[in-house]
Amino acid sequence: MRILVVEDELKMAALLHRGLSEEGHAVDVARTGDDGVWMAQAVEYDAIVLDLMLPGVDGLNVCRRWRDDGVWAPVLVLTARDAVDDRVAGLDAGADDYLTKPFSFAELLARLRALARRGSPERPLVLEVDDLQLDPATRQVWRGGTEIALSNKEFALLETFMRRPGDVLSRLYLLEHAWDYAYENRSNVVDVYVRYLRKKVDRPFGRDSLETVRGAGYRLRRESP
Amino acid sequence: MSRIPIRLRLTLAFAVVMVVVLAALGGFLYGRLASSLDERIGDELENRGAALAGAVRAGDAASLDPALLRSEEGVVQVVGPDGAGLLLAGDPTRTTAELARARQGVVTIDRGGFRIRAEPVGKYVVFVGESLDDRDEALDALLAQLLVALPLVLLVSSGIGYLVAGAALRPVESMRRQAASITADTPETRLPLPAAHDEVYRLGETLNEMLGRLDQGLEHERRFVADASHELRTPLAILKTELEVALRQPRSEVELESAIRSAAEETDRLVRIAEDLLLVARSDWSAFELRPVFVSTDDLLRAAAARFATRAASAGRTIEANSESGLVVEVDRARADRALANLVENALRHGAGSVRLRAEGADGHVELHVTDEGSGFDPDFLPVAFERFARADQARERGGTGLGLAIVDAIARAHGGSAHAVNLAGAGADVWIAVPARLNGADAPGTDRAGVR
Repeated sequence: MRILVVEDELKMAALLHRGLSEEGHAVDVARTGDDGVWMAQAVEYDAIVLDLMLPGVDGLNVCRRWRDDGVWAPVLVLTARDAVDDRVAGLDAGADDYLTKPFSFAELLARLRALARRGSPERPLVLEVDDLQLDPATRQVWRGGTEIALSNKEFALLETFMRRPGDVLSRLYLLEHAWDYAYENRSNVVDVYVRYLRKKVDRPFGRDSLETVRGAGYRLRRESP
Repeated sequence: MSRIPIRLRLTLAFAVVMVVVLAALGGFLYGRLASSLDERIGDELENRGAALAGAVRAGDAASLDPALLRSEEGVVQVVGPDGAGLLLAGDPTRTTAELARARQGVVTIDRGGFRIRAEPVGKYVVFVGESLDDRDEALDALLAQLLVALPLVLLVSSGIGYLVAGAALRPVESMRRQAASITADTPETRLPLPAAHDEVYRLGETLNEMLGRLDQGLEHERRFVADASHELRTPLAILKTELEVALRQPRSEVELESAIRSAAEETDRLVRIAEDLLLVARSDWSAFELRPVFVSTDDLLRAAAARFATRAASAGRTIEANSESGLVVEVDRARADRALANLVENALRHGAGSVRLRAEGADGHVELHVTDEGSGFDPDFLPVAFERFARADQARERGGTGLGLAIVDAIARAHGGSAHAVNLAGAGADVWIAVPARLNGADAPGTDRAGVR
């Protein structure tokens, strides 16, 4: 595996470099946030170990910059900050895992292996389908910059559509992803909520992106490929 | 008494007062009625007595008009000088003693449900009597009414008192309920205040202010613990990783030695941080023991300069102690050395050029200055320079604990002084502590002696 370590503490950086290299990984070290940003853009790493407290750009912003620039390498945040708020902020900034110092080296290795297994698919923080945007962290939805207020259920349904744009999704699929076991397939709750969604997401903007596919289900149409 | 709830106590006190008031009222009413009835009977007896006496005086007692005796319920008697009744009606009972007294003057006797008035008229004694039945009946009726009405009034008024006391105490109860729910997890909660700006309101306000102060203190402590744990985690992480990496595979002696050396280094760092933390934490509880001695400031400065001379020289810097002030100051020598060392250390680490130490005396105070020729403090950092874990740089500076200046401040405050930092007009920074020349001297007015024992 090729691993990038972004860590300003000299000794910690050297230790990680030595320890990971001895496990057979190729390791690069960046000592500032800025270095980390361009290094990850230049090389496709299998995993990145990121410290949060960095001189210059701090770790959270480094992570956000990568995701904005289309760097999808899995990021493991390694930091001495252990408050819940810090961990939430780290994961919502686009990090994939969070480990607090002091940590067990064996656990770090295992987590890096697990991250590498998942690969580096696109994992945008904000889902986008044409001019429709949805942020799962802040629970906000926009169409062309105009914010749309949705109920919890409508939001869950739209998120299900936006995770698979262009695909025909059966009523059963939608029911399984946006509702819990309390609902039965027989009810027409999906049709009702698709109608609600159209009323809020499509009609005010003169669109008809939510299509009915006869005998199959519904589809969120994507205009641009 | 103090075990009884305050609401019941108020009601009881109210009831006791009501019992006294009602008893007094009842007694007064009863007394008034009795005296007015007595007055009427007295008047009646006097009138009848006078009429009878007139008749006795006017003529022969033996030929008294029997009409005078027609009073049905009354007693009428005229007794002659020999003690024999000349004219008798009603109850004849009378004792010789009474008769003897009646010959001297007017006598009133209550007997057998009658009030009898005896009056001497010449040789005779005239007795007239009135039945007391009506009077006693009226008084008994009044007593019966009072005995029914007054307890009723007492009961109703006590009930109302109980309700009023409850209403007055309701804000207290709601404050109590809220207070019971406040924990360290909900420090921002405050007690509900009643609408009226009364004593309970003021109590609630004061308690809320106290909660605010506790909240602040708690927040302060929380931040300190968070900062301290963060500060401890970095060396701990290095220590742990160093040892774990070393143990992952067989190592040569050289590799092992370097790992151990590094681990020892981190252990030293941990020890230093722990000591600093303890010092600062203790200064918070103002249990900072001082062993004050008189030292010349020249000595202090020279010693501090000497301790860092080698290090300064190896960094191509100079360090000078301007030691001709001739000032003497009363300080804890070890603490003062520590404060000066922290200042010099800071100047060497963050400043540039030569480091100068000098002492100034002013107004019963002694100031110990450390200046350098670097770029000075970041203006944003200056106001918080002496706070714990305040760092000019967001990222960690290798080796520092973030507590250096906080310790300087704590030591200065323990001496009843203060710590200050400014950027010099030309270049560099001037950091100093000002302490009273004498710890308990009267010539150091307005100094805060918290923490000095």
